[in-house]
Amino acid sequence: MAETLCLSDSDRSSSSDQSVPSRSNNRSLRIAEKERKKNEAEDSFVLALRYFSEVEAGTPVAGNDELDRNLAVVEKVAFSKGLSPEAISVLLEFAMSLRMGTSPCVRVLKCLIPASVVAQQAVVRAVVWLNVSKIPISTQVLFIKWVLTVFDLIDAKDQLRAIYGFIFSFITEENLCPYICHLLYLLTRKENVHLYRVRKLLELQSKLGRQPFLMHLLSLYKVFCPELVTLSIPSRIRSGFKNYISPWKSALAAVQKSNGQQVSSSISAAFTIKEKSISRKRKHCHLDLPALSSVLNKEPQSEQTSRRKMVPLVHLSSFAQMLKDMHRIELPAQMGSLLGSSLALQYLDCVQEESALLRLNFWLGCALHEEFLFCRQTSEEALQFLNNLLSAQHFLQEGFSSSDAFLYKFLNVWDGSLLRPQILGLLSNIPVIPSTQIGRLLFEPLTQLFFTSSMFFKCGLMECLNNMLLKWLTWHSVYALEDDLDISLNSHTSINITLSGFKDSVMELVHFVGRLASLGLQLEGCNTLLLSFILDFYETVCDTFLKFGLPLVVMPPPGVFYPALLATDPVSVDRLAYIMHRYKLNLTSAKSQEKQTEPQQAFHISRHTFRQFNHYLVFMVNCLWNCRMFHANTDMHVREELLHKSNVPQYWTRFDFIHHPAFTGYAVDFHQKCWPGKKDVDVNSIKQSKPWSWYLEYLFNQGFDGLKDFVHSSISRQVTAGDELQDSQQR
Amino acid sequence: MSRLNPFAKLPGLNTASVLLVESEEHFQQSLAEALVEETSVTVNVRLAKSFPLPIENDESRPRIDLVVFIINLTSELSFQSAEASLKYLEPGYFLGKVCFMVTNARSSSVPAERLDAVRRLAASLHCPLLFAEEQTPQGVTNAAERLLTILKAAAGFVPFTTPLYLSNLTRCTLPPDIDQPSFD
Repeated sequence: MAETLCLSDSDRSSSSDQSVPSRSNNRSLRIAEKERKKNEAEDSFVLALRYFSEVEAGTPVAGNDELDRNLAVVEKVAFSKGLSPEAISVLLEFAMSLRMGTSPCVRVLKCLIPASVVAQQAVVRAVVWLNVSKIPISTQVLFIKWVLTVFDLIDAKDQLRAIYGFIFSFITEENLCPYICHLLYLLTRKENVHLYRVRKLLELQSKLGRQPFLMHLLSLYKVFCPELVTLSIPSRIRSGFKNYISPWKSALAAVQKSNGQQVSSSISAAFTIKEKSISRKRKHCHLDLPALSSVLNKEPQSEQTSRRKMVPLVHLSSFAQMLKDMHRIELPAQMGSLLGSSLALQYLDCVQEESALLRLNFWLGCALHEEFLFCRQTSEEALQFLNNLLSAQHFLQEGFSSSDAFLYKFLNVWDGSLLRPQILGLLSNIPVIPSTQIGRLLFEPLTQLFFTSSMFFKCGLMECLNNMLLKWLTWHSVYALEDDLDISLNSHTSINITLSGFKDSVMELVHFVGRLASLGLQLEGCNTLLLSFILDFYETVCDTFLKFGLPLVVMPPPGVFYPALLATDPVSVDRLAYIMHRYKLNLTSAKSQEKQTEPQQAFHISRHTFRQFNHYLVFMVNCLWNCRMFHANTDMHVREELLHKSNVPQYWTRFDFIHHPAFTGYAVDFHQKCWPGKKDVDVNSIKQSKPWSWYLEYLFNQGFDGLKDFVHSSISRQVTAGDELQDSQQR
Repeated sequence: MSRLNPFAKLPGLNTASVLLVESEEHFQQSLAEALVEETSVTVNVRLAKSFPLPIENDESRPRIDLVVFIINLTSELSFQSAEASLKYLEPGYFLGKVCFMVTNARSSSVPAERLDAVRRLAASLHCPLLFAEEQTPQGVTNAAERLLTILKAAAGFVPFTTPLYLSNLTRCTLPPDIDQPSFD
């Protein structure tokens, strides 16, 4: 109460400030009138509260106008501004004590919308009332649902934890069980896990069947005390606690939105990264990351005497301090707050505490699922939320399993433009998927999106897949050293993948991108921008062995190689030359290593890859250097008669360094520089030995480093230039 | 029963015609407005509630290159109407000249079975299934852009490709139960 009153006071003063300069009597009168009304409204609210706190037990409900009036006043305030902690305490006490029977109880419960926080004391008292008075089950369910909805707003949880056993006893009530399980899930700590509770849960499970809510609670128990829970729990349990349909949610969101700033000061946000933006809008919407706040009581010394003393994460301010208190860090009540704090993320990364990750994933899964997958309007907050999630993932350098699961679902209903940068960012963070699953989880929805979307989406997806591959390869290069057969998919899951399984997945991905790339180029008319993104991808692919130590070399498909080689812009040709140069280095070093190691355990690069590489290389050298483009047994065999019919003079030279559409401009420019006086330009004169080497020098000086590397590594010019290619046959 | 035939009429010069079929007529209009923004080809947009199309317009109707069924997932009727309309199309249309567009897929009030039914329908006809966010202007533009990609191929404006070829690449597949992707 005090808070709201105080705020309205400040409102008043500010409005009278404004009225002074206007010096209009009329206006100040009007304002005075308004104030009076406001005061009256507030007075009636105070009176209503007084009524509810003082009303005698057994007062009749039927025909009680006073009750109706007061209820109406309270409801009006609740749905417009929300209720102060004191008001909630009073009303909750009134409702749960059943002073006037059950019908006003339900009505009061439904309007308990907190403006700021809920006092823990009130919740504890209400839980106690659950046992004392004869509340119908449906009302009990409503109350527990309310507690779950406002759980994050309860100012402290230590006393609630203290009555853990008491709350646990309600679990036998069949209708209450799902909600009680959820509440317990949020409250459980290691010291709450006891054998008799596990037994009780198992007993319930045998009675009710494998219910997800029981499984969730058991899985948390298992994380805390694996020795007590021997049950095997599936790695992913079907969508968690299903209580998101709660009557308060939308009203709560609306109230919090409308009195946004007023709430912000109630809990100090000690050290979130983007302190301002987060702390300000913290509680408007469920998608906002909550600020880190301590779950401990305000006076910890009075409370935590018997147990070892815990240090809430919020009290730590430096990394050194965190290291010191590492063993007794208390996690915040709202796991989502971890995402916003770099220190918390560091803790998560160092400690690898499974319960923390489990809870974080649980929270994230719910948030993404209800607030995003099935929320029609997307707003700034959704954007902000996903950005925060992305930056947390970048910090940890891995994704969260719940966000992966969300993505697999979301891709199937995505229109391809909604929050595209964020979704593609999340997509590039997903861990290695076994090759048996990758097709249906990833490739099928992506293919459908890729071919029906615009060029820019195609480029974006190419970039995303390139990042995904880079992350997979980096992951391999870091973890393969430690243990060279099994790679764990994720630093905190137990799912492992063998090296050959990993290779299969990478190969699947590269082949998939190859297919998208060749068809995409065909549909987009070999668009240069798209080609550039595709070549980015192959720059990663060509270096898998040397850079990442993965004994796997995959060549680009013809649908990528030829468009790049015959492109009209020199940059694409240059990058292709660089890629071919890197392929050569990778293949030669893989081959030499293969010879050194024993045949059994050694990796093996298939003959087909070497053959394909040689094939491309020969064609490229023939085309750019030897002027023997339409050689027999190449991919581009055209019949002699047909070529003659085309009337192209010297058709075999059309794609050498001088006549290639990408380089003609350079050839003409070189010609003018070389022979400034000459009026008629005959670029064929560059073909002579000396000008040819000058011309190459000139090209290299234009920044075509890829071509330079390619020419140096694949073409030997000891013999008269342009005559012989050193066929770098690998086999 | 008069059926719509893809090849009964000659195509117009540099013109692509699309028929938007939506029983509720919510999204049709805004989508049509976004579609005609296209400048590289003349886009003819025809609107219909359901099939069969009225016979009196037969003369003035251009050759339809692409039939788009817009299905609002929140309404069962919308799906049923689209399903009933399908039989008024000549089989030739199913070689790359039909696509489905779904709106309101991300809504909690939609039963999962309905989306599955739409998917099954699109997959059995080998047609693409697009999702659209019809509430935001950006979503509408994007939906129009994606339709134009298909329309241009269906009307034969994209070299080296045919409608059948594109629809073979983009056709809907039945997604597995991905509620719990287990890798075990």
